[in-house]
Amino acid sequence: MKVDMVLKMRDVPGMLVKALDPISRHGGNIISVTHSRGEKDIVSVNVSFKVKDQSSLDLIKKELARQRIHVFRITIEGRKYYMKKSLSYILIGHVIDTDIQDTIDRINTLGLVSGVEVLMTSPKQKSSVLMDVEIDEKSNGAVLEMVGKICKEKGFLLIRSL
Amino acid sequence: MKTVKLIVVGFGTIGKGVLEVLRMKHKLVKQRYGVDLQVSGVCEIDGSLINPGGVDIDSALLYAARGKIREHPDWKAEKSLEVIRKVPADIVLELTPGNIKTGEPGLSHIKAALESGKHVVTSNKSPLAKSFYEIAALAEKRGLSLGYEATVGGAIPIINLYRDNLEVNEVRSIYGILNGTSNFILTKMFEEDLALETALKEAQELGIAETDPTYDINGTDTAVKLVILANSIMDKHVSLDDVKVTGIGEVTSESLQLAKKHGYAIKLIGDVANMEVSPRLVPLSHPLNVSGTLNAIMLDTDVAGTLTLVGHGAGKIETASSIFSDIMHIAKSADISRK
Repeated sequence: MKVDMVLKMRDVPGMLVKALDPISRHGGNIISVTHSRGEKDIVSVNVSFKVKDQSSLDLIKKELARQRIHVFRITIEGRKYYMKKSLSYILIGHVIDTDIQDTIDRINTLGLVSGVEVLMTSPKQKSSVLMDVEIDEKSNGAVLEMVGKICKEKGFLLIRSL
Repeated sequence: MKTVKLIVVGFGTIGKGVLEVLRMKHKLVKQRYGVDLQVSGVCEIDGSLINPGGVDIDSALLYAARGKIREHPDWKAEKSLEVIRKVPADIVLELTPGNIKTGEPGLSHIKAALESGKHVVTSNKSPLAKSFYEIAALAEKRGLSLGYEATVGGAIPIINLYRDNLEVNEVRSIYGILNGTSNFILTKMFEEDLALETALKEAQELGIAETDPTYDINGTDTAVKLVILANSIMDKHVSLDDVKVTGIGEVTSESLQLAKKHGYAIKLIGDVANMEVSPRLVPLSHPLNVSGTLNAIMLDTDVAGTLTLVGHGAGKIETASSIFSDIMHIAKSADISRK
């Protein structure tokens, strides 16, 4: 099936190769690649490729997420597959000490944590952590509910976007 | 020329601000609207200035400034409730600070005023948040006006905008920054990378925060205003217990620096749709990203679309603007009949 994918990534050397590698590795046959520098420090890349089936596409998506490459839009055979939405929030608390990997893994069951930035003045103090999560638009409520539940359980203050 | 007599209940910061603005604008109101505003009573905790012919504003403010209000020639040992019931007036201005749990003493003042046939204008949030529907029903039953523009958003004309200018609109949601003190603190933390305690101390030194800023910091003040907006504009029949409240006490300067780096500010937002008060990430380009002590309110309506109002949420003169908006709405109506 023919897939058109719009990727957004940071404008640093090597990123494009990093983004295309998972497609080739999982059997994708790249037809065309165009990229444009529009937004500040962010490059938008349109990749068209042919891939055997949905499970191959899922593997590509997973690998891109692992590489922290934002999949903005996917079109399969000319039909919009899904539009992703980016959700940002800040957690304040002992986020590292309360198993941050567990926090991320649980959120990843509903979306994909694509960015984590931690600020901590000292190991004993509470840390402030900004997370970006890529989600399907329709799962917004479920993801926020999950984050809220984790915050309650681990004693974090949640600052979500408006 | 129509004479409209006022009783001012509560002679603190807001009460003094009202008299200062009255002194400043008395002539303008007379010329522009043909209304002569007079003050027949000014109530303090332990007594009142009473003069049915009109208390002299200059001397009342002068005696108060010297801390000698009790030596004023019009001073009588009569308490506010007696004055409200007995002294002839058209409008009672209830400007006392209120107890959030009981709504008192404002609630009793408002009821006494309405029961004795006087219109009410108030800046007191507590009685409105506690007993909005009871007070509104009493006013309607007596055919009297209840003005409470000054309870939410200081000088921002949100309540009267809805009443007078959005007649055919359904309001789908209301949200915004309703507390100037917390916004000042978050702005300081954001702009100068300060800890909350340092920003709060600065707010106190500038007279922006009270000695006890608990309700500003823990979100209660915002929640009270949220309840008033929810009931008066969206008819939600809610109380303070229905609001999920998280204040700004736990917000760190690091979180503000993180937010800034990613294109956000952090603001304490009251959100009627979710009945929630909480710190939220607000994009830097968003209309609600206002600085310092400013308040900002967004109304999402079905016909007019989204409206944003920005203005000073506190300050005695700014708040007096809203109080006079209510006074003039009543004064300009034809049916002023003194009891």
